[in-house]
Amino acid sequence: MTDTAIDSSNDSDGDHREGVIRRILARIDTTNAVVLPLLALFGALVIGIFVIALSDVDKLRAGDVEGILTTIKDAYLALPNGAFNGWRAINETIVATTPLLLAGLAVAITFRAGLFNIGGTGQMLMGGMGAIYVGFSMDGPGFIQIPLGVLAGMVMGMAWGIIPGLLKARAGVHEVIATIMLNFIAGSLVLWLLKTDMFGREGRNDPISKLVTPEGQLPRLFGFLDRPELRAHIGFLIALSAAAFFWWLLERTTLGFEIRAQGANSHAARYAGMKPGRLIITSFAIAGGFAGLAGASEVLGTQGRATQGFAGDIGFDAIAVALLGRSTPTGTVLAAFLFGALQAGGQKMQVTTGVPVDLVLILRALIVLFIAAPLLMKAIFRFSSEAADSGPSFGGWGA
Amino acid sequence: MELELRGITKRFPGVIANDDVNLTIKTGEVLALVGENGAGKSTLMNIMYGLYHADEGQIFVDGNPVTFETSGDAIAAGIGMVHQHFMLVPVFTVAENVVLGVEPTTGLLGKLDTAEANAQVRDISGQYGLHLDPEALIESLPVGIQQRVEILKVLFRDAEIVVFDEPTAVLTPQEIEEFFNIVESLKASGRGIVFITHKLTEALKVADRISVLRRGKTVGEADPAEIDEIGLAELMVGRPVQLVVDKAPSQPGEPILSVDQIHAVDSSGRTLVDHVSFDVHAGEIVGVAGVQGNGQTELVEALTGLRDVITGSIHLGSEDITHATPRDVHRAGVAHIPEDRQRAGLVGDFSVAENMVLTRYHDDGFSTGIKMDWPKARAVAADLVEQYDVRTPSIQTAAGNLSGGNQQKVIVARELSRDLELVIASQPTRGVDVGSIEYIHSQVVKARDEGAAVLVVSTELDEVMALSDRVIVMFRGRIVANLRRDETEHNDIGLYMAGAKEQPVKTDAETTS
Amino acid sequence: MSILGVIDVAEVGFQPLSPAILTSTREHLTVTTSDNSQGENMIKTKKLLAVAAVGALGLAACGSDDDSSTADGGSICEVTDVGGVDDKGFNQIAFEGAERAAAEFGLTAEVLESASDADYETNIQSFLEKDCSLIVTVGFLLGDATATAAAANTDKQFAIIDVGYEDAIPNVLTLNFATAEPSFLAGYLAAGMTETGKVATYGGINIPPVTVFMDGFANGVTYYNTTKGTAVEVLGWDFAAQDGSFAGNFENLDDGKALASSFADEGADIIFPVAGPVGLGSSAYAAENDGIRIIGVDNDLTVSNPNESAVYLTSVLKKIDEAVFAAAEQVVVNGQGGGAYVGTLENDGVGLAPYHEQADDVPQELKDEIEALKAEIIAGNVLVN
Repeated sequence: MTDTAIDSSNDSDGDHREGVIRRILARIDTTNAVVLPLLALFGALVIGIFVIALSDVDKLRAGDVEGILTTIKDAYLALPNGAFNGWRAINETIVATTPLLLAGLAVAITFRAGLFNIGGTGQMLMGGMGAIYVGFSMDGPGFIQIPLGVLAGMVMGMAWGIIPGLLKARAGVHEVIATIMLNFIAGSLVLWLLKTDMFGREGRNDPISKLVTPEGQLPRLFGFLDRPELRAHIGFLIALSAAAFFWWLLERTTLGFEIRAQGANSHAARYAGMKPGRLIITSFAIAGGFAGLAGASEVLGTQGRATQGFAGDIGFDAIAVALLGRSTPTGTVLAAFLFGALQAGGQKMQVTTGVPVDLVLILRALIVLFIAAPLLMKAIFRFSSEAADSGPSFGGWGA
Repeated sequence: MELELRGITKRFPGVIANDDVNLTIKTGEVLALVGENGAGKSTLMNIMYGLYHADEGQIFVDGNPVTFETSGDAIAAGIGMVHQHFMLVPVFTVAENVVLGVEPTTGLLGKLDTAEANAQVRDISGQYGLHLDPEALIESLPVGIQQRVEILKVLFRDAEIVVFDEPTAVLTPQEIEEFFNIVESLKASGRGIVFITHKLTEALKVADRISVLRRGKTVGEADPAEIDEIGLAELMVGRPVQLVVDKAPSQPGEPILSVDQIHAVDSSGRTLVDHVSFDVHAGEIVGVAGVQGNGQTELVEALTGLRDVITGSIHLGSEDITHATPRDVHRAGVAHIPEDRQRAGLVGDFSVAENMVLTRYHDDGFSTGIKMDWPKARAVAADLVEQYDVRTPSIQTAAGNLSGGNQQKVIVARELSRDLELVIASQPTRGVDVGSIEYIHSQVVKARDEGAAVLVVSTELDEVMALSDRVIVMFRGRIVANLRRDETEHNDIGLYMAGAKEQPVKTDAETTS
Repeated sequence: MSILGVIDVAEVGFQPLSPAILTSTREHLTVTTSDNSQGENMIKTKKLLAVAAVGALGLAACGSDDDSSTADGGSICEVTDVGGVDDKGFNQIAFEGAERAAAEFGLTAEVLESASDADYETNIQSFLEKDCSLIVTVGFLLGDATATAAAANTDKQFAIIDVGYEDAIPNVLTLNFATAEPSFLAGYLAAGMTETGKVATYGGINIPPVTVFMDGFANGVTYYNTTKGTAVEVLGWDFAAQDGSFAGNFENLDDGKALASSFADEGADIIFPVAGPVGLGSSAYAAENDGIRIIGVDNDLTVSNPNESAVYLTSVLKKIDEAVFAAAEQVVVNGQGGGAYVGTLENDGVGLAPYHEQADDVPQELKDEIEALKAEIIAGNVLVN
């Protein structure tokens, strides 16, 4: 009863917003959790065929059907090839999966609490800046510097993540607005920091940080193979541990119980004596921590330095990952893995067939589109009767 | 016109909502369709109205097979439907709402011919004794009158068969009487009426024929002249039922809940609870009667810590809980059965076990601060499922998949299975099957007999009258009557509920003594 | 691309929209210079072998009877930054240079696009595994990845645009541009052409790759004032304080319009935007308001933005394609890796575009002075900084 700001904000938009998330998640729930993503992947690949054909203007003009078919075949063979065939491929899949998984968890935890976190990018950026500072300013020993760097990333991410939580809980600012705006602020802040003497590298007039000292770099996973191009690092293990933590938090703790209750039915959570404000803030703090780890893993492991673009679009891809994974721990891991494999395969595809790597972005987008549009899936794959829309539109019976 | 549903079957994933249902409706008669919640009444009507499509079976109009692809087809065939939840535009006038979609227009630009619309509405209104002012704004009208606008909408579209879905749920006893008069005049004009209800007295009173649905099947047709309420209830539930709550006279003890002059407003400052004072004593059941929306919801919210009051105080025994949080209230020994179980009482996606500890996970040994003790929670949940006769495949089943009655039993089990000072039960049996109603009522009485103070809020006057030792009537946020049950008549309460009567100010001491 | 709107500093000043680019859209990523004549093929193959030899490439497997030998004959391989190869910006211009060089020297041009910063390493790695005579990396974002890869693969040749390493790497040729020189000329020209006595410049973001243009421009105006005893004022950039007007991004055309409008209000009649597409907003403003003229940046905007060609006094050119071509020639043909290429007025790596429609407006005297000034700069008699 103390935080009236929440009460009023919840009254005004809570129903609607929660409804949107619940509808999205419910729709995803309606069909088998395994079959639907597979069908979505299949559907995306089918449409991808046309995308490849249309992008090959030369052969299209020449009417070289056989050539186009070869390109399509080669491209689709290159995808699994580049993702799984050999150390290099597996390595690249892991490299791509790591930040997607961590950032995906950052979105998933807020989805589970009934909130949208569009701020993964900003949280990653700030986490990365915290991590890079430890990364270049210390010079070992590794067993202190590395944990400290990772921790700095997590803490900075949490600090940045907590802001939209506070704004929503205490002032009723919608978290979508707040997180988007904080992305802009983080982007500008990083740019500014990279130009300061503290972060910027001497002798470079472009915004780039000092290099992480060798001791501060995350150890490579395949170091034992002595192949320097295998750059996958223990950030992957951190990501898997984070996913395990996410599971433990949700399924085994009181906080997780509260977060799930808040997300599934905020009215019931309030009725049950849970504190919405506290849950909003906590969820965002945890989300920021996950995203901060993603940032730390990128700068300390994959890239070894910070630029203003080191977070790329991962914060947004993460939304798709969380949606595809239905915000469950296992689902998010699998979705991140699928997207990571597509990304690694896409690089291979670009190298061997010249099909633009943009195809992978299109495939990802199509997968999410299919997942989010069960009626479309129903129309295409002829699901049984009203299975796809039984959830939301179907209130008259069974109450 | 004669409408026939023959062999209608409708399946939803995992459930058969309608199973080979046969139904015939003729013009000039009133057919009551009764059945418990979840019996398939609404599904059947939605099929008849073109909103769902039957998996098997056929609809016939005057012996000719027809297919209703959309509700538009059904309307064209002369079927009209008055939904439980009105579909009116609040800022439009009565006439504008009535003609919406089929507006009479003038000129090339299709300007709405307001005069013509008003005249037509006035004409139909007079014909059926609806007493509607075409130019009144919907938002200014009481619920009972709004319902008549819905009826007029249907008549305006020349419906020959009118379906009413639970029409009396939102009406006061007096409004219900007026509604029955309207039904009579519709019947007299040669229209057929389908009256969906779970209130048996109403079905018996108004219907020419009664069709009973149970678990998706038509289990019988009854002549109101030849069957009584008990018989009908048996037909509906499938076994003998007890309609009267069996309870001993109350033995009121010390006051447990003392409410003194509490006042609550909404975000725009409108008064919701208007300086309300009353006591609930140990060992008594106080019922709060009133038409929905007269401050009962907000009163309960104030008592349970969900809504802050502006003035006044609430005491539980000697403890001041005026500004306590929901958790404080819970810990002080207050059970709260919320009025809308799906909105507040349960998390539908959660398992039965999880819902069993929804309000209690933080203590009773279910957690150690951080970590949940799920094995213990599941063990307790399994016990409660057994003890409170919750019909569920397992305690891991999502609560949302249970029937309304079993969902409510989960809540009752959770809330009543601990040491309690006070029980606040809001609409405890709304949308619950007859069997569960009996059970829930008996549990409420049991809590009283064990010494708890009980406050029951219900818009079903029958329920209030059946359970209460004392009755409070709320009207527009105020308590307009505080009466001993054994000195009170149904109709009397109806007058208080409608605001037509108000009790002179009286102290609690006088009413309880 | 992203809600964050990460500012792609790398695109500073490389935002041409030349019709040539627009029409030669990337129809296929791999451009093969194929010929039908067997004789030419033979010659080409021989040439390739020579190239391979001098390029220190192990090209033993190249048979003379192989029709598709060109594809195996080594490639000019470009790794783009996140802008992608069809960015109508420097990634694209660089690739045009690569294609031209490939066609000229009988090679193949290949490109790998980077979707994120994390892709640079892996794309370079992919090219290392292929048969690349020269790996061109575009933009300072790839500076670190290129340096690392070059150090680990000393037998491979690299060229990188817009990066200068403190310690030169033997197998990395750096490609930079003395953009202050043509900017200086542009400042002189603007000072000579202004009717209001005020000219203006602004940047995308306050970082050196941008401000170096503005420095040159402001100094050019100052030089004019000193020479002619005039007092033409520069709005939007204070050389001494190293601060001035910035749009804050390289994307928003409205910002360019707003900046142009406020400069016009303050009396400036010639504006030099150094902000990529933002500058097109200023061009749009100039097209709607008489008396305002724009100096384009990076490539000849009169040509690449024909709809508003009338507003351009001239453009300051940064010829990335020339640089890539020169790099390919140096490394692949002459067999000499490493070093530093700087595009200057002298080697025509930078310059001023023709006056086009404004040619009649610019007094012959001023044209001559500019030509003379250019010669002086080349000769080192006039310092642009």
